[in-house]
Amino acid sequence: MKEEVLFEISSLSRNPLKVKGFRFGREGTTPSCVIVGPMMGTAIDQLWIASQLVRFLRQHELANAAFVKGEILVIPTVNPYSFNMGKNFWPLDNTDIDVMFPGYDKGETTQRIAARLFEKTNNYDYAILLEARKDHVECIPYVEVLESGMNYIEDARAFGLDFIHVKEETPNDTVSLTYNWNVWNAKAFSLISGKKGILHKHEANKVFDAIVRFLVKKELIDFSTFEGSHGNLVMPNDIEAIKSSAAGLFDTLANIGDSVVHGQPLARIFNSLDGTLIQTIISPCDGIISCRYDYSLIFQNAIAYRIVKVESAQNTL
Amino acid sequence: MIEEVFNVNLPVNETLTLRRNRFSPEDISTSTKRISIVTGTHGDEIEGQYVCYLLAKWLNANKHCIKGIVDIYPAMNPMGIDSITRGFPFYDVDLNRNFPGNTSDFLPSQVANAIVDTVRGSDFAIDIHASNIFLRELPQVRISRSTADELIPLAEKLDIEFIWVHDAVTVLESTFAHAMNSIGTKTLVVEMGVGMRITKEYGQSLTKGILNLLAHVGIIERAVLPTTKTTVSNLHSEVFFVNASKSGIFIPILEHNVTVLKGEKLGEIIDPLSGRILETLISPCNGLLFTIREYPVVYEGSLLARILEDPKEDTAL
Repeated sequence: MKEEVLFEISSLSRNPLKVKGFRFGREGTTPSCVIVGPMMGTAIDQLWIASQLVRFLRQHELANAAFVKGEILVIPTVNPYSFNMGKNFWPLDNTDIDVMFPGYDKGETTQRIAARLFEKTNNYDYAILLEARKDHVECIPYVEVLESGMNYIEDARAFGLDFIHVKEETPNDTVSLTYNWNVWNAKAFSLISGKKGILHKHEANKVFDAIVRFLVKKELIDFSTFEGSHGNLVMPNDIEAIKSSAAGLFDTLANIGDSVVHGQPLARIFNSLDGTLIQTIISPCDGIISCRYDYSLIFQNAIAYRIVKVESAQNTL
Repeated sequence: MIEEVFNVNLPVNETLTLRRNRFSPEDISTSTKRISIVTGTHGDEIEGQYVCYLLAKWLNANKHCIKGIVDIYPAMNPMGIDSITRGFPFYDVDLNRNFPGNTSDFLPSQVANAIVDTVRGSDFAIDIHASNIFLRELPQVRISRSTADELIPLAEKLDIEFIWVHDAVTVLESTFAHAMNSIGTKTLVVEMGVGMRITKEYGQSLTKGILNLLAHVGIIERAVLPTTKTTVSNLHSEVFFVNASKSGIFIPILEHNVTVLKGEKLGEIIDPLSGRILETLISPCNGLLFTIREYPVVYEGSLLARILEDPKEDTAL
C-alpha cells in the first residue's frame, strides 16, 4: 500500500485540507478501479466503508503481495473540513463539490477541488463513488447508474446488491463526478446507502461486502466471496413515491427493506400540539421499501416512503 | 390584491405560504400583457425586497396607469428570507437549481413546481438576485447566449449598467429563468448589490428601469424614457475573472464600479498571523470593475473580482 496526499488546499486559520489516497497493487496496471468516499461531511456510513476497505486491502496485501492484481486507489473522503464541523457542504460557502465536475483549476475553491480530484481519478477502468442521499431519507444500499451508463449495466450486477437504479439524467447530473467519469469512458457507479450523520454498520457492511465482491468478480483481487443478489433493475417509473398529506409528528411503522403489501399501514402522523392522529399512511402498492423519511417531524406533502413496486421484477436487460 | 399561490403545512403549527401581489386593470382580455417580478429565491438576498416595495408603492399610487397585469412575488423562499438561509431550509438545497420542479419530488422541488405553475402564462418575468454574501455586484442583467437575440432588446429597456451575455451552461437549465424561458415567458435575471444588505440607490434605479420596461411593453401608461447607460458584453468585450491563488484575508484597494487599467492593483491578500502580504491582485485588462469581493476571508480559488474588458476595436475588414 502506498499512502499519498493527492492534493492540498490551504486555509487562513486551519491546517491545510489534505485529500489522501491509498494505492494498492501496481500503479498504471489493469484492471484498475478507483473508489472515492464521500464529498458530504455528514456521510458517516460512506467514510466507514471506505476506511474499512483500506484496512481490508492493506491487511491482505501485507499477507500476499500478489493479492491485488491490477491497481486500486481508495480516497476515503474529499472533504475532511466538513466532516470535522458536521456540515454537509464546503464550510465557507456551502457549495456542494459534487456539482462542480469536471472542475476548473482556475475557478472557485470547490471547482479547483473537483478539478484536482478528477485529474487523479479519471483514467480508471471502474470508478465507484460512495454516497449518502442528499435528501432527508434513510435508504437501503443500492447501485445507481446514470442512463448514459446503460451499456455497462451488466457490470453493476457484480456488486450483488438487490437493486440497480437506472437514474434519469437531469441538468444537475452533468456536473456530478459519476457523470463525468462516464464521459471519460470509465464504467462509473454510485453506491448509495444509509442516512446522513449516523453510522449504520449493518447497511454499511453490506456495501463493503458488495465492493469486495465487485473487486473479486472484476479480477482485481485474489479472494473468495459468496454470491450476491442477481440485481433487480429499477427504472424511474418503478418507484412509487408516497407523500404525507398532513404535517406533524411522524411515527414510522415500517422500515427500509421491508416487503409491504397494498393497504398496509406504513406510518402515522400526529398533530404536534394536541396529539390527534391526523393521517395513517397506507401503502398504495406491493413492493419493498427502498427509502424512508428520516426525521420525526414531517412536512405536508413530504415524501414519506419510496417503494420499489413488485411489478418492476419483470424488468430485464 | 394579495393572493396566496402555494400553501403547505409545516410540522408544528405553521403554514408555509407563497404570496403575490397582483395589480391589474379593471378590464382584462386575452391580449392583456402580464409580467411577474420574482425575488427571494435565495434567502440571503434581500435587494429585491426593496424593489418590490418601491414597485408596489408606485402601482398603488398610480392605479390609473395600469393597463396590464403586474404580479409581484417578493419571497419565493419565505423561511430562507426570515432566517438568512440561502438554500431551502431543512433540505439545504438551492431552490434555483430545482426548476422546473416536480410534484412527486421533495418539498423544494414541489415549491419550484408551484412557482413555475403560477408564473406560467406571463409574457415577461424579472428574477431579481443580489449576488451572495461574498460578492458585491454592479446592477446587471445576465442572459444566456442561446436567448440573447430575444432578450437583449428587452433587457436594454431596464437602462441597467450592463448586460452580461454568458455561454449556455447545462446546469443552469435547472434555474427559474431557464424554466420560464423554455415555456415562452421572456425572463430576465438581474443581479445587483450584495447578500444580506439593501443598496437603496440600486433598488431605486432598478425600479425606474422596470417601470420603463413596463411602459415599453404597454403594461403601464407612462412616458417611455430613453435608455442611455447600458453596455452589452459581447464578442468584442470579454469578462475577466480574478481568483485568489492564496488563502487569507482580502483587502480591496479599489472601490466597486470604477474603470481599471491593465496592471493596476486591485487588492491584496494578507496573513494576519505573520503580518505578510501573501498575494497582490492585478487587473488583467482595461475595463469596468463590476464585481468585487465583499467578504474578506478567502480560500485559494475564491472569486475576488470580475472586470468587463473595454470593447476591442473591430479589426475585420
